[in-house]
Amino acid sequence: MKPLSLAPLIRLVLPFAEAAVVTLLAALGGRVIADHFDVPNVSLVFLIPVLAAAVRHGFAASLCAATLSVLSFDYFFLPPLYRLTISDPADVTALFFLVIVALVTSALAARAHAEALAAARRARTLSTLHDLSNAIAGVLDLDALLDAAGRRMAQALNAEVVFLMPDNGALAARAAIPSGVRLEPADLAAAQRSWTYGGRAGGVNDPTTPSRRWFVPMHTGRSDVGVVGVLLTEAPDGLSAPDRDLFQAMASQVAVAIERVALATDIDKARLGAERERLRSAMLTSVSHDLRTPLASIVGVLSSLRSHRDRYDDAARQELLTTALGEAERLDRFVGNLLDMTRLDAGVIVPHRESVDVGDLVSTTLRRAAPLVRGRVVSSAVAPDLPMLHIDFVLAEQMLFNLLDNAVKYSPADGLIEVEARSVGDRIEIVVRDEGGGIAPAALERLFDKFYRADEGDRRRAGTGLGLAIAKGFVEVEGGSIMARNRTDRGGAEFIVSYRTAP
Amino acid sequence: MTGDAAIILIVEDEPPIRRLLRTTLGAHDYRVLEASTGAEALAALRHHRPDLVLLDLGLPDIDGLALIGQIRAVGPVPIVVLSSRGDETAKVTALDSGADDYVTKPFGADELLARLRVALRHRLQEQGAERLFTSDDLSVDLVRRLVRRGPEDVKLSPKEYDILEQLVIHAGKVLTHKHLLREVWRNETVDPQYLRVYVRQLRQKVEADPSAPRHVLTEPGIGYRLV
Repeated sequence: MKPLSLAPLIRLVLPFAEAAVVTLLAALGGRVIADHFDVPNVSLVFLIPVLAAAVRHGFAASLCAATLSVLSFDYFFLPPLYRLTISDPADVTALFFLVIVALVTSALAARAHAEALAAARRARTLSTLHDLSNAIAGVLDLDALLDAAGRRMAQALNAEVVFLMPDNGALAARAAIPSGVRLEPADLAAAQRSWTYGGRAGGVNDPTTPSRRWFVPMHTGRSDVGVVGVLLTEAPDGLSAPDRDLFQAMASQVAVAIERVALATDIDKARLGAERERLRSAMLTSVSHDLRTPLASIVGVLSSLRSHRDRYDDAARQELLTTALGEAERLDRFVGNLLDMTRLDAGVIVPHRESVDVGDLVSTTLRRAAPLVRGRVVSSAVAPDLPMLHIDFVLAEQMLFNLLDNAVKYSPADGLIEVEARSVGDRIEIVVRDEGGGIAPAALERLFDKFYRADEGDRRRAGTGLGLAIAKGFVEVEGGSIMARNRTDRGGAEFIVSYRTAP
Repeated sequence: MTGDAAIILIVEDEPPIRRLLRTTLGAHDYRVLEASTGAEALAALRHHRPDLVLLDLGLPDIDGLALIGQIRAVGPVPIVVLSSRGDETAKVTALDSGADDYVTKPFGADELLARLRVALRHRLQEQGAERLFTSDDLSVDLVRRLVRRGPEDVKLSPKEYDILEQLVIHAGKVLTHKHLLREVWRNETVDPQYLRVYVRQLRQKVEADPSAPRHVLTEPGIGYRLV
């Protein structure tokens, strides 16, 4: 510990010691020259220590050198030699001019020294600010931004850095370098004052809110974003004036960056909000239409039969009831779709995987879809001896059911619907083809979006807009993929589902 | 015949469904008892000895699965469970803990009545089971170990036969994967993949069109049913 505590003292004394030594050497050198040569103005030799001290250590050291020079000149060169007295009054003049020259020289040299120092400091400040701005440019995450900025500030100021930002109205620590910095009540009071009045606060000598840390507000032209505090590791008393400026400049830069991040987040939120709004209104339209339409016919049938039962003959009654039943089943499918979609959105679907025989999957789905595809020709071609899939049978069946439902809706009644299963490399593909109008290029991208319905004009009632979104969700939850494209062999669409086979 | 009519205990907390069931079953000459809670159901079970319990899994006062255990503790009455779509795990658990079959809400009357008939028939069979199964072109005689599709005898491997035997014994009823593994392999932990392979082979032999089975049907996520 001892050498450490001596270091500042040595640093303080060294310039003066150096000035003294150089002056002494100059005096001795001058003496030697005067002894051997006839030099009229040997006093000029003393400009060397004065200039050296001024350039190397500034005004105080050069003043010291000047004083010592005057004394040495008197001592070594003016008679009586080797005494600090003057016998010849003319020599007083010489001494006087030496004093003047020494003083002027030191003042000039010292100013040059100070300016060089200031220039170096400005360069350092600029480079620090430049580094900081490089480090935080393009960072769009607040935590990453504060971390990068905090590290740069801690390094530049040799300090602990803490950022405080308003959280629910109260100022709270948001990030710190090193992490885990604990703020004391005095720190918080100083930070709060800096935030409230918008200026620097803290430091041990702050009369209102003394604290070990210094705080400056971070504000931009548009808004106040928070407060940043530093605790100097080496000089707890305070920041030097240039460091104070650097600190303030860095705080302003960070403030601008924080504001940029906040704006970017706001824009994202707005975009997300708009998308959510679109979905909400699509969902409301869909729900009100798809729930009300079947309900309307069910209520209509039931109320007619209750009030006017005798007006209908058996055939008419049967037709009414068949209609109502069909609509009720449609309603059930729609509610099922809504539930599936909700489960997908909530991310609560955990596939109950089992070994699945693809032929079994296809035949079971076709069996359930029989009422749906009634009157349609459906062919299935499952390659023999396909390996087993390791998927959730129930999800896969619903997925395939929805693809069939889609094929039925978007192809003419006399069109063939094909289901094919085949092995492709280490995957099994299940393909559903129809002979409908195919998929418009604009629709290809949005086909699997929630509540998207291909525009079928008035030709037929479109579906719920959920079936394909659910099919995609159910395939992807198993790690499989689904794609849609137009057939190349004839008009129509084909949907290709691909699952990896069980290892 | 009214004296011999089967008594069905409806355990369901929703009054409209209860009313629907009462009307439907009454119209098909069943006698109907009603309970809206688990406690009422157990009391009715002890006092009236119903022939079958139609049980909604979502009761307010007791977990339906727990109630199955309590009903089983009273006696071997067949239980048909009412459950909702997308709840395959609950169905399998109900079946594995003693329920005989299930009907998914919303159900059609035909499906419901078919399930009830099958469950009631098995109640009678246990007192002197028939060992014959005939449906369309498929006939199975368990006593003589004969399987015919149309006019032709079908040769089955022992495992295929064992699976078919289980399906015939419980014809019309759903059998869980676990049930088949237990009865055929005598081991519930066997990889169910073997079961699928044998069922696929069985279908090749007993179905006219194995790619569109009409007898050995898959119940997704649950098991198989022979019709």
